[in-house]
Amino acid sequence: MPPVIQAEKLTKYYGTYRGIIDVDLEVNEGEAFGFLGPNGAGKTTMIRTLLDHIRPTSGKASIFGIDTTTDPVAIHRRLGYLPGEFALYDKLTGGQTLEYFANLRGGVDKAYQASLVQRLDVDPSRRFREYSKGNKQKVGLIIALQHRPDLLLLDEPTSGLDPLIQQVFYEVIREAKAEGRTVFLSSHILSEVEKTCDRVAIIREGKLARVDRTESLRDLAHHTVELVFAGPVPATEFEQLPGVSDVSSDNHVLRMRVSGNIAAVVRAAAKYDLSDFISREPSLEETFLAEYGKAGEAAQAVEAGAR
Amino acid sequence: MTASTQTLRQGPSLYRRLYGFGSVFAKAMRDSRRATIVAGLLLAVTFLGVAGAVVKQFDTPASRDEMVALIKSLPPVLAGLGGKITDNLGTMGGYLQYKYGTFFPMVLTLWSILALSGTLASEAQRGSLDVLAATGLSRRRIALEKLFGHLVPMGIVLLITFISIAIAGQAYPVLPGDEISVSSAFAYTVWLGFIALAGGALAFALGPFVGRGGAAGVAGFVTFAGFITSGYQQAIPAMEPIAKLTWWGWTYNHTALSGQYDWPPVLLVGVLVVVLLAFGVEAFVRRDIGSTSAIPVPRMPQFLLGLGGPIGRAAGANLGAAIWWGLGIGFFGITMGSASRGFMDQLRDSPAFMHLLQTAFPGIDYASAGGFLQLLFVEFGVILAGLAAATFISGWASDETSGRLEMVLATPLSRLRWALGSGVGLVIDVVVFLAITIAGIAIGVASSGSDVSTPATGALILGIYAIALVGIGMLVGGWLRTSWAAAAVVIFLVLTWFVQLLGPLLGLPDVLQDLALTSHFGQPMVGAWDVPGAIGALVLGVAGIGLGALGFARRDLRR
Repeated sequence: MPPVIQAEKLTKYYGTYRGIIDVDLEVNEGEAFGFLGPNGAGKTTMIRTLLDHIRPTSGKASIFGIDTTTDPVAIHRRLGYLPGEFALYDKLTGGQTLEYFANLRGGVDKAYQASLVQRLDVDPSRRFREYSKGNKQKVGLIIALQHRPDLLLLDEPTSGLDPLIQQVFYEVIREAKAEGRTVFLSSHILSEVEKTCDRVAIIREGKLARVDRTESLRDLAHHTVELVFAGPVPATEFEQLPGVSDVSSDNHVLRMRVSGNIAAVVRAAAKYDLSDFISREPSLEETFLAEYGKAGEAAQAVEAGAR
Repeated sequence: MTASTQTLRQGPSLYRRLYGFGSVFAKAMRDSRRATIVAGLLLAVTFLGVAGAVVKQFDTPASRDEMVALIKSLPPVLAGLGGKITDNLGTMGGYLQYKYGTFFPMVLTLWSILALSGTLASEAQRGSLDVLAATGLSRRRIALEKLFGHLVPMGIVLLITFISIAIAGQAYPVLPGDEISVSSAFAYTVWLGFIALAGGALAFALGPFVGRGGAAGVAGFVTFAGFITSGYQQAIPAMEPIAKLTWWGWTYNHTALSGQYDWPPVLLVGVLVVVLLAFGVEAFVRRDIGSTSAIPVPRMPQFLLGLGGPIGRAAGANLGAAIWWGLGIGFFGITMGSASRGFMDQLRDSPAFMHLLQTAFPGIDYASAGGFLQLLFVEFGVILAGLAAATFISGWASDETSGRLEMVLATPLSRLRWALGSGVGLVIDVVVFLAITIAGIAIGVASSGSDVSTPATGALILGIYAIALVGIGMLVGGWLRTSWAAAAVVIFLVLTWFVQLLGPLLGLPDVLQDLALTSHFGQPMVGAWDVPGAIGALVLGVAGIGLGALGFARRDLRR
């Protein structure tokens, strides 16, 4: 079965500014694909190029086997899109906005639209300009979802949503997947991608740094753990545990970095009289810096040396 | 304390505090730089260029007498859009006062209204004021800095004007009495500044209550109504009480370029400006940021919103503006149409002027309502129609600049179809505003008991001109940037209008003067159409829409 999304050496420059460089990517039918990267990495550029909102400087991309620049309308007919930042018609109500987009597409199941309005808790009678940021985001989500598209392109979809609505959103994505539809989700929130996606690509400074199964993120992710002991600090025991590094102690406090599964550290800590156990998941930015920052800097240094 | 900490604690340089990003005032100054340069150049070029051209063209006492005779032969009602005719009309100062004296306050007033209605209100609307107000600056300080960020550029433009008049007044005179004294230049400049700021100050005072659009609308209406009623109070006595309601009427006798001063009302306008500005600052300080009460207007019925597709949406999104423009220009049409009876009577009493018109335009009956509208309505009417077109283009452009197109064009709607559909939608808006305008003209003319069909048909020229400008806007927006489209329309409108107005005086080449579309329309209000010119304008509009759509389909979508 051909991939739903395929990019070959896809490159976009805005004048002299870098967008994305030589991106090779395949997203298969029925999978949820996460597109991770820090701010400015090129996530939105990638999505807008796939949509033909912007044209590639070089390389090519296809969706449903159709070149994105040849027949974008045929592609758009089968996808739903939520931009990372968007505006809609201030003077229209939420309901009128949904109606307009339903008319542009045609064939929207009104009952499904109504169920989304109910599940995402949107008041369709209010004018768009009167909505809070989160409610605007909900309207955008319904526009993307209401026609049950074969492909969902979602750029930071949970931005501004409260935790309850985020859960509803994850449910809807799981349902879409269960129906065999494809989801391409851009985010900088690691946990969001972990919850929803089968595979993930990590983009950094416009280039794909890694494409892998989501499980592999757990290897990439690490925790900063702080244990506060009632008695002396058993630093040596923890240093020998798998995945533990950067161990330091200060009075009764032991700090360490734990990569991968944290269970061994929990079991070891349980043997002692603990006053506190603090585990913090670092931001994706920190994870990137830890995982790719040094390699990136080293590569740049090598390039500079070669010049 | 380390050196780096000391460095961090140093504030921005004095220069940056005055211009750039060193303070709220500096940023406001920076934001005003283009408007300041354009306004300063416009006034300097006009006073230095036109004053020189006028005295060069009328350089003998005999030619001056002819000029005065010609102007005085105009029925008073025809001179309404000029300034007051003074005793020394035949001098450089008297002529400038009559011909251009009241025009420049209108230009500067528009600038002031746009700047002062938006400086706080539009920032509040888009949310950036929330961030600014959380930086530790008091609201009063923010308001004052922003206010002075307009007052200082305005002061710079006034200074340029003063110097230009003073230079022209001393360097150009060829006949006795032509000199414009420094004190006259000063008196005119003070009046110019106060009149311009009065409109802006009204918008500034209303902004915290009704938001930018409402404030600019009310201030614009008061300014325009004041300008028109003041200009026509001499010809139409019924307008005098209305004229006296605004600063235009109060200062009617302050004709400083001709050497006649009436300081008390001018100072009263100054006091009003200070009071309104202070009121605006206090209102901003005391009210919730961004909490405005919209001026109540009825909601558009659902079927007019245009939810069916791009044509309907483009038309529906601008429909409110189209109706308002139609009502505004239509009201102007009613006023002018109903005043035409007086004009016809006066024209019959001025056989010399009647003879002049019949010699210049044989076979055309100017002693009709259509003739009056051709001479007085069309020139302003096309400017207003052009501004309406710029408004529609701005609304169209906002689909892309606001980011709405990101979602709209992710539907099965090709860019070409969207752009062409939007163009058709804008033409529908032109038709709406035109229909209302024509209705206004018809009502006005009918009330004077004249033939309605000829001027009503002639008013179609406003729509043709607006469609041409829509085409120009879409062409620029389609191939370059939609954010430039409305500005391109306004620049084209203003430049070609100036070319038409000043071209003959400045001796500009015919090629340049021909660029003014309005010089190719004939005399449509009296039934004398320049058919190729009108068709050419329509073709320009349609071609602009088509080519603009093609350009839009080829380029990247911008955000």
